[in-house]
Amino acid sequence: MEASLKELAKLEKLASSSSKSKSPSVDASLDALLQSLRETRETIQAGSASADTLAALQRTVESTKKDVDDRQKEVYSSLARFGKTLDKRFSAPLPSYQPMFTSPEAVAALERTVAAHFLRTGQFETAETFIEESGVDIYPELRLHFIDLHRIISALKEGNIAPALEWTDRNRAFLEARSSALEFYLHRSQYIRLLLATHPPNVPTALAYARTNFKPFYHRYGSEINRLMSCIIYLPIARLQASPYADLASPTLHLDLEPMFAKEYCASLGMSRQVPLRVIGDIGGGGALARIEKGRKVMRERKSEWSQSDELPIEIPLPVENRYHSVFACPVSKEQATEQNPPMMMRTCGHVITKDSLQKLSKPGGRVKCPYCPEESKVAEALRVHF
Amino acid sequence: MASNYNIDGIMLFEQPFARVPYENYRKVFRTSQKNIEKELGALQAAAADLARRAQAGTVVPEDALKAVDAMSRRAEGLKRKLGELQRNAGTPTLEVMRERLQLLASVENMQSSNGPDFDRWADTRLDRWLTDWALRSGKEKTARKLAQARGIERLVDLELFSEIRRIEEALNKHSCTDALLWCSENKAALRKVKNPLEFELRLQEFIELARDRKLLDAINYQKKHLIQWQDSHAAQIQQASALLAYTPSSAFGPYKRLYDLARWTNLVQSFRLAIYNLSTLPTEPLLHLAMYAGLASLKLPACYDHETQNIDCPVCDPNLGLLAKEVPFSHHVNSTIVCRLSGKIIDENNFPLAFPQHGHAYSKEALEDMAANNNGQVTCPRTKETCHFTELRKVFVS
Repeated sequence: MEASLKELAKLEKLASSSSKSKSPSVDASLDALLQSLRETRETIQAGSASADTLAALQRTVESTKKDVDDRQKEVYSSLARFGKTLDKRFSAPLPSYQPMFTSPEAVAALERTVAAHFLRTGQFETAETFIEESGVDIYPELRLHFIDLHRIISALKEGNIAPALEWTDRNRAFLEARSSALEFYLHRSQYIRLLLATHPPNVPTALAYARTNFKPFYHRYGSEINRLMSCIIYLPIARLQASPYADLASPTLHLDLEPMFAKEYCASLGMSRQVPLRVIGDIGGGGALARIEKGRKVMRERKSEWSQSDELPIEIPLPVENRYHSVFACPVSKEQATEQNPPMMMRTCGHVITKDSLQKLSKPGGRVKCPYCPEESKVAEALRVHF
Repeated sequence: MASNYNIDGIMLFEQPFARVPYENYRKVFRTSQKNIEKELGALQAAAADLARRAQAGTVVPEDALKAVDAMSRRAEGLKRKLGELQRNAGTPTLEVMRERLQLLASVENMQSSNGPDFDRWADTRLDRWLTDWALRSGKEKTARKLAQARGIERLVDLELFSEIRRIEEALNKHSCTDALLWCSENKAALRKVKNPLEFELRLQEFIELARDRKLLDAINYQKKHLIQWQDSHAAQIQQASALLAYTPSSAFGPYKRLYDLARWTNLVQSFRLAIYNLSTLPTEPLLHLAMYAGLASLKLPACYDHETQNIDCPVCDPNLGLLAKEVPFSHHVNSTIVCRLSGKIIDENNFPLAFPQHGHAYSKEALEDMAANNNGQVTCPRTKETCHFTELRKVFVS
């Protein structure tokens, strides 16, 4: 973008009338013309105008025209140069696809997705406008849930954990089933806040808080609670920051509560931890479309079309946090395992290949030699693996 | 795992974002040029005339004064018009260009797609896509609200889409006037891409005259506006001429089709394609293109099996899953095993262990944790198979 920005700066300079350039600005040329017109007028009024005066005026108009044309030419070529930098930067046009997501079901699904997106990201007014304009049918509780979520998150931002604790209290069973540490971390944040809020530190208040609130967590977070108790000896905060307990002085201890709470809250509603449209957009707009297009081009060059609805011709690399399912690709056949062709583990050595490959490698007597080690196993004893 | 930071992949989407304001500025320049040519041309003529008359000695001072005053007014008028154009259209457009280019430069200069800077950038990008989508699907209120709430008015093309809407509404009311005006503003560009929209619009106006049986007007119209397309559209012009002989009720075959009101719907479509094309906007919303690629990268058969669905996977969401039906499955040549207990990816240090009876496999770390809390016993959450940790079988996934 550097080249474009450089050309843009030149264009901006030409557009502002004050700047110096090869030719005077249009504004300055017109001002000069107006000035000569005024002078000509005075000369005529004074009665001293001759044919030469008016011939001179004609020359002025002609030279004005030339100056203005020169300036416009300069702007024009500056614009053209700017356009060239864009051509260079954006060599590939966006691909054109057949219209997609046009069926009534798809339109409705996309509208519900967008409505949920606005609500989830706290854009309640936009969500309301959208719901009204599109008439999307979305269950009304969803809106209330997200207003509630944002109320709690805003409180957390201000260091108020009370609304969050109310929620964890109501959803304790759910959180325990997920072995979530959320409630404990909320109390931990409050305890540290009490310890560090005042100067000198108000240890008794913090300890009183710890006594009432940490007890139910002792069996699960015993060692962490011990650390929380021990860190007192390193107060005040400046010393704590240089101690083995420095992590407890970090602001992330409080800041991390917001995403953590949102994640648990969304999970309780059966929703994902990341904003799904962002995930899809980041993957699609972060190289996937470019790769798909490249794959498609290669396929075209080889004159082998791939069927749209089936499978992409190439692998799109995904970051670890976007791997949601196990994929087993057979190291022998390179095919993805399916229900009909599941991964099978050879008993003796533990190597896994797909069922089809196992059959192909089997020898008379129902034995198979592992393609990855010297061991032999019995085909019939191979264990279907579920990842 | 490869990084998902791919600047070319990001930039693939951004051509219209950079180009629309550039085209707008070119339009502003063309308008200024038109004004200059008209007004300065008139000034040149006036000055030449005055000088000639002075030379011939046929000019009295009052006339000369009047002529000079008229010239001054013209020059003043031009100066004012150009000033207003620059203030109201030129400068704001340049500001839009700068803001957009800087936004693109900022993502070019980022080193990775992790971190708050990229997060903010991607949030804005999604807001832009959603605005574009809302504008294209006729949800203008939502688009405006979203743009205003997020402060991205300069990053979306609200004006372009209201122009499209205005012209399309006129076409839907069977008026070509606005669309023809747009064609004349973009004549050179349309000619360059050999877009026949203007001819189609002219042809429609001719058809309407024939429909109303204003035959004389129709003939005049044909002479004035259709004949100039003779070289490229001779057959169509000839065919259309026959409408002078056929009324809408007596027309048949190709002539009936010319009278068909569905032609108006096609004109709306052709106009939309033409304006998208000139603005380098894709025919599909950017959101759709991103979703197509994003969903296809993630989609697996596992997303549609209740047993293996993952609440965090976008494609497993019922709505997105329905949309993903239109895209291909992802393709994998290497195994990736995600532990269903911890959600972690299995690698050589955290290898999978399988229950000996039913073969359900989990990561070593997750099973170790379970064993530590249960006196060495582990239980499969799916089959409830229970055994001692030491009975688990190590699984080798090459």
